[in-house]
Amino acid sequence: MNPLTAARRLLPQGAVPQRSEDEGGCGVIGAASAKQLEGKYLLTALRQMKNRGNGKGGGIAAAGLDARQLGVSARVLEEDYILQVAYLDPSARDEVESRFITPRFRVDKGREVAMRDYRKLGLEVPPPKVVQYFVRALPAELESFIAKHHLAALTRDAAEDEFVYQNTYLLNSAFYSSLQEKRAFVLSHAKNLVVFKLVGYGDDVIPCYKLENLRAHVWIGHHRYPTKGAVWHPGGAHPFIGLHDALVHNGDFSNYSSTVAYLAERGITPLFLTDTEVAALLFDVLRRTYGYPLEYLIEALAPTTERDFHLLPPEKQRIYREIQTVHLPSSPDGPWFFIIAANAPQSSGYELIGITDTSMLRPQVFALQGKELGLIASERQAIDAMLGSLHEDGKAASSRADRYWNARGGSHTDGGAFVFTVDRATRELRCADKFGREIKVQHPDSAAIPYDIHNADSGRIAAMDLAAFRKHALGIAAGKDKLAAVEALTGLMNLRYPSKEPRSALLDVLDEALVKALSGLPRCSWATQRKLPKPGEALAVDCQDFPVEGPESAARFVVKASRMGWKRLLLYHLRGHRFIGSGLGPESALRVDCYGNPGDYLGSGLDGAEVHVHGAGQDQLCQILKSGKVVIHGDVGQTMGYAAKGGEIFIRGNCAGRPLINAVGKPRVVINGTCLDYLAESFMAGDPLKGGGFVVLNGISAERGIEELETPYPGGNLLSLASGGAIYVRDPQRKVEESQLNGGKFAPFTAEDWKLILPYLQENERLFDITVGLLLTVDGEKRAPEDVYRKVVPAGMRH
Amino acid sequence: MAEKHRAHIRRGIELLPQLGLPQDSALGDLRWTKELILATWWQALTGKSPENIEHRIGASGGGFDRLDFKLSSSGIAAEQVSLSIPLNRRDSGQVTLSLPWYGGGMSLGSVSLNFMLSRAMAAKAAGTLTSTGEGGYPSELLPYKDHVITQVATGMFGVSEETIQSCRVMEFKYAQGAKPGLGGHLLADKVTAEVARMRESAEKTSLYSPFPFHSVYSVEDHKKHVDWVKTVHPGVLVSVKVSTPIDVEMVAIGSYDAGAHIIHIDGGYGGTGAAPEIAKKNIAMPIELAIPRVHRYLSSEGVRDKVTLIASGGIRTAYDVAKAIALGADGCVIGTAETIAVGCTHCGNCERGRGCQIGICTTDELLGQFIQPEWGARRLLNLYSSWAAQLRELLASLGLKSVQELRGRKDLLVYRR
Repeated sequence: MNPLTAARRLLPQGAVPQRSEDEGGCGVIGAASAKQLEGKYLLTALRQMKNRGNGKGGGIAAAGLDARQLGVSARVLEEDYILQVAYLDPSARDEVESRFITPRFRVDKGREVAMRDYRKLGLEVPPPKVVQYFVRALPAELESFIAKHHLAALTRDAAEDEFVYQNTYLLNSAFYSSLQEKRAFVLSHAKNLVVFKLVGYGDDVIPCYKLENLRAHVWIGHHRYPTKGAVWHPGGAHPFIGLHDALVHNGDFSNYSSTVAYLAERGITPLFLTDTEVAALLFDVLRRTYGYPLEYLIEALAPTTERDFHLLPPEKQRIYREIQTVHLPSSPDGPWFFIIAANAPQSSGYELIGITDTSMLRPQVFALQGKELGLIASERQAIDAMLGSLHEDGKAASSRADRYWNARGGSHTDGGAFVFTVDRATRELRCADKFGREIKVQHPDSAAIPYDIHNADSGRIAAMDLAAFRKHALGIAAGKDKLAAVEALTGLMNLRYPSKEPRSALLDVLDEALVKALSGLPRCSWATQRKLPKPGEALAVDCQDFPVEGPESAARFVVKASRMGWKRLLLYHLRGHRFIGSGLGPESALRVDCYGNPGDYLGSGLDGAEVHVHGAGQDQLCQILKSGKVVIHGDVGQTMGYAAKGGEIFIRGNCAGRPLINAVGKPRVVINGTCLDYLAESFMAGDPLKGGGFVVLNGISAERGIEELETPYPGGNLLSLASGGAIYVRDPQRKVEESQLNGGKFAPFTAEDWKLILPYLQENERLFDITVGLLLTVDGEKRAPEDVYRKVVPAGMRH
Repeated sequence: MAEKHRAHIRRGIELLPQLGLPQDSALGDLRWTKELILATWWQALTGKSPENIEHRIGASGGGFDRLDFKLSSSGIAAEQVSLSIPLNRRDSGQVTLSLPWYGGGMSLGSVSLNFMLSRAMAAKAAGTLTSTGEGGYPSELLPYKDHVITQVATGMFGVSEETIQSCRVMEFKYAQGAKPGLGGHLLADKVTAEVARMRESAEKTSLYSPFPFHSVYSVEDHKKHVDWVKTVHPGVLVSVKVSTPIDVEMVAIGSYDAGAHIIHIDGGYGGTGAAPEIAKKNIAMPIELAIPRVHRYLSSEGVRDKVTLIASGGIRTAYDVAKAIALGADGCVIGTAETIAVGCTHCGNCERGRGCQIGICTTDELLGQFIQPEWGARRLLNLYSSWAAQLRELLASLGLKSVQELRGRKDLLVYRR
């Protein structure tokens, strides 16, 4: 038996608990930075995701701290455990200390964390008083612990870890049991990592414990959305801890009890009764008790299945099969997404880890800026909010990341997990996928790939430094015809061209110039919305202060302006505003341009209007799209076009999972990138040659000229369970296999098919500069359409 | 031809209740007994309670069939009893129903347009509501839009901004008690040109509604979903229809938190013949168990008076309505009782487009003419008025002046062994 598992046999075992608290989704963010960042930079991102929580639980964790700020030496910070105790009942302190701290540990420093008056922050439940103890096990205590638990085979450090872990278990059992009075509990006990949590929102934690200026390399923050129970305790909020790590979670498990049973067999009883605690304990068991490297640990949590499994190298298949045999019953089932902050002895640094479930049922975005910053969040707008506040203070190179992506859960391609590590010694940031392959930023200047560029400026831009580019952009903005200036700047935002500077830096300049140009148009904001000018050509709307949802939201303002007679709206400073384009009703002729980060459900229900997003889209776009047009000059998130009936969608980049699921009728869609999986599942869009719907999947990257992706479609389910419609996939190398179709089949690509899709590809060329000529060019040679495109139809369909 | 059949059907359902109980009839089952079917036909014909047919309970040996009221005499006159219930308890814009029940979701495709029209006309005349189900919103229903609930279910067939904007209540159907976790299905035979047009799909192609909503995997997703509908139609009342899983109270409080006005819990006894036999009665919790659990839980969370709790799934009679309310619901949704009122024999051939000899669950043009809207509406109104009279009499004898006073009065119920 594993010595740690055996050692836990002596712990008092509680009854295997029933989960008493249910929760669904949540808002999560994590950041890892080569330079330490202050806590205040999480605030905007968390505030902009408030609608993902309900104020009944918020928390943060920080790892890789600054010794001076904590009033300890660098050595103490490195070597001591930070036993951080939350006192719900301050009078419990003496008792806790005399039973669980002073007789067992050498306390190098103990300090009470300063707090602000919670009532002034609007909190209803008093947050716990927090005391930080920098401790090491007393040698005699540790010796007797090792002897009693037969841990001599372990290293002394590993034994001390377990000593700390068990001490916390006993402390929590005595002072924070689910059944009795709740007086105190351990927030965290890792080295160089702290956790704070309370009943409120995640962003309440930072002012409450005055963490605005606390510096750390890794941060995670969380809003909770629990739904059951009238009484709330901070103990139920995230993050939860193992030993060296803190975990936040968005989703819920359907196999809570079997996971709990698995832990019980290993001597571990959860005390806080949520599935998130169980996830943190599971993570600790896999990493510390069994010593799994991260790759195997991730496999144990999110197994690689179906086609993805068969595409793994044989050696990996052998190991993964063993892992799955042991861990499948305890691997969390259902929708989940974990973000973990860790300072583990087996790692070279402070880690930020994001892991998505095999079915990819929760929203998740990863991002990387240069070699400096790595971010993970539920929404892209939260990432940009954090970068924006950092950039404003000169702490980030740009207000945008250089690269954004989604993980493919349980896949052979990236494993559905990414790890950002800040090296303890060099402070360098490294990002790698589950398999350890490094993820890097590529700048456009590194690639001189030929590109058809319509924009006459672009040749000159290649030679400009940032100052020259800024002058150039502001010059455009100063032009007399403001709408033409906006169009020209928008073109520069949307197109790709060789440049000296990273694209993210150019975009910051263009943002600034754009706002200048928009200021010259008829304009309104939240404050001035009641004094609208008479309807004219176009109205610029500063959305910054509009609510993101509800009766006064930006989306409702769009409806109002449209009813007044405006035909075109330019929305800017969007920061996760939801439902843009919804509520316009049938046969709308409005055009909406979106700058910034429009939020979820954009274009849902659209019937006639046109929405252009000059950037990326988020989740659930174009639900039940009926008619009209949606253009996204970037990537989009989960479940785009769910149950769409018609309309046209053009996507420059990639989709996350499940685009066009359950769509019927006649939607016409061009996706230039690819999608994670489940493209057009249950598609019921008739026969495209007789007026039905289709998706063109180009499977290319159009960031640096046109590059074919490794495969046009990595997923194991293409057009599965479909009864109508077709996928036209650009696949000149014939990489898509029958085994991916899962209910679909290849059909001959005919001249009729080409005639059908050509106008959409021509529009795609006009919008994105992705030319039909280049799409038909393979290995430098122009080919016939039928040699480039393939057609997939439902297996049951007759031709 | 249609006329001939129509005449025969009408004659049959008018005559049968008067002939006394046939001994070896194949009519009915233990839940919907032949007595209950005949009694429903009688009430739909006359608007009155039958004298010699059992019209209060079935013979299932459990649930509502074992519950009864502790009657006492009181001085209240039946005419003074109010049956109205408010649907909106959380914000402005009141919708009050004259009766504590309304019609459940039945889509065009699952039932004929004429039957939908019958229901809409009856709902308008009686001051209650009917539901389009998931399958489009026929324009013929527009004159009744203030009495229409339109559903957004997981397939979102026929859902558009226009349909969401043309209703008084918008219902999210997460699951159906008769087949929780199984989604919905409309087999190819029922997908006629008209049904396909309404659902914007292809003719004679089977249609499938998934489980669950692919845009909703958590409560915060659900809140977003509700916010979306409120953006499309500000002021619409939002109903959330769920089945009765083991954690039904958690689902209910989550729905309330997300902004729902109505929580509609659908137990396992309901459903037509189109629901798989294995699922019916075997997955969802019986509604008589779910109602008190949810009622108690919402009360303990302090939100019971801010949300309307509607129960469905096996509500057959006015007495079932009363029992559900006494257990803690505000009102009920009925389905099968309405199909029986227009002649359904509970034969269970609902999934085949041409299997319904009465012309209810059909998309066939000829069969669809068997029910004329005015005739159907008359039958439904007669049933409603008989139920209303029964309910008023019952409430009066319990000493209650309003159906709202009955809510949660479990003390008035007895369990008969």
